[in-house]
Amino acid sequence: MDLYDLAGIDWWSTQCYYHALAYLGREGLIICYPTSPYVCLGLHDDLEQEIDRSYCEARGLPLLRRETGGGVVYLDCNQIFFQLVLRRDNPVLPLKRQRFYKHFLQPAIRACQLFGLPAELREPADIVACGRKCSGNAAGDIGECVAYVGNILLDFDFDLMSSLLWVPGPGFKECLRVAMRRYLTTLADWLPVPPSYLQLSTALAAGFAGEFGPLNRRLPDEELEAEAGRLKQRLTDRSWLSLPGHKTKERRIKIAEGVYLVESGCARGESRILLLRDGMTTDLADCPDLLSDRNISPDTQHRASALEYIADGA
Amino acid sequence: MQVDKRFVPEGLLYARNDYWVKATADEAVIGLTAYGQDVTGDILYLELPPVGDSVSRGEDSGSIESGKWVGRLLPPVTGTVLERNSVLEEDPSGANQDPYGVGWLIRVRLADPSELEVLLSPAAYREWIEEQIRREQEEEGAL
Repeated sequence: MDLYDLAGIDWWSTQCYYHALAYLGREGLIICYPTSPYVCLGLHDDLEQEIDRSYCEARGLPLLRRETGGGVVYLDCNQIFFQLVLRRDNPVLPLKRQRFYKHFLQPAIRACQLFGLPAELREPADIVACGRKCSGNAAGDIGECVAYVGNILLDFDFDLMSSLLWVPGPGFKECLRVAMRRYLTTLADWLPVPPSYLQLSTALAAGFAGEFGPLNRRLPDEELEAEAGRLKQRLTDRSWLSLPGHKTKERRIKIAEGVYLVESGCARGESRILLLRDGMTTDLADCPDLLSDRNISPDTQHRASALEYIADGA
Repeated sequence: MQVDKRFVPEGLLYARNDYWVKATADEAVIGLTAYGQDVTGDILYLELPPVGDSVSRGEDSGSIESGKWVGRLLPPVTGTVLERNSVLEEDPSGANQDPYGVGWLIRVRLADPSELEVLLSPAAYREWIEEQIRREQEEEGAL
């Protein structure tokens, strides 16, 4: 299989190369990171419902809609991407496509473990360390291929992520920030100095070679560059970004597998902020300490004080 | 409510990519089979083709998102979309819970009724999904 170990590349290239491979019917593995930040919507995300566009515009954050699933993500140079494109008829793909995550995520799990994280798979598609998600993943059919994409979080700007999403109010935004800090983790939480790109990409490439056989290092060729350029126009086009998507009656943001923050309307026009975790629902106004247990880092505990603000009736 | 993935009603035609077709004169209703929805998993969102659009057999005509996966909607026959199941756009769970009833996807005017001849009978489709289920079990062991 071809390996495109590209290190830092233009933000749009980090999405368009794997789409281009898929549309060209070429298998390959891409490892890279974006040299500048951007916001990426899932195929069925509704732009108006999900994004605070004025915030993104003010920050100069470009938008792109990918053809894989999952939700809105903020992406920057503190995330290392690994993207695998396989032809639909590749015999390694199971009939139930979600089952392949187990295979696809092994190299990232081993890389995280190598650098000291107690990383493990949380099915179907999360990598967690001590129950906290440390990798974002998505997949989908593109052209005659399937693409599985993921990233490893070296660090993450929780403030920015909670600001760029459209939220019903400041209380929800604060809860979102604290909940993300509670249920997500990054290599920076565990290591005084996160591994370099070279260290991580080497570990990932070795893992993928172990899973899928020898990798043939190469650079994008003319055909791939041309297709990626064409796709940039389409995936960032205003009409494509504005396609109607999955609308929900209540504001609901997925934080990790089985964990959602929800604003739920109730009597007298008031609304409540609920945390749904593994089927259990908790009203955060009733449990201001929910997100500040001993498992949260000191920084997170500090941020959890935001919940007191909500509990105080703000 | 879980539907039996082996449920294959009589009176319909089937495609190997797990769609059913109910043909009447020059029209057909299309849906995902019980086995198809089982392989897909819990459906979160369905993007169906608009009324008036032409769809072609086996060609990308929409998408189906389930959990951490987006698959393509590949209709088993060619035609013009006369109606789409708008209920599923708000709540796609019908495609999982009642795939042969409230979970139908689109109704089309057939462009080439001879395409129906290559579809499978219920008995042939039952054989097909048994093969697939055996393959799934092997995969489960391998993974």
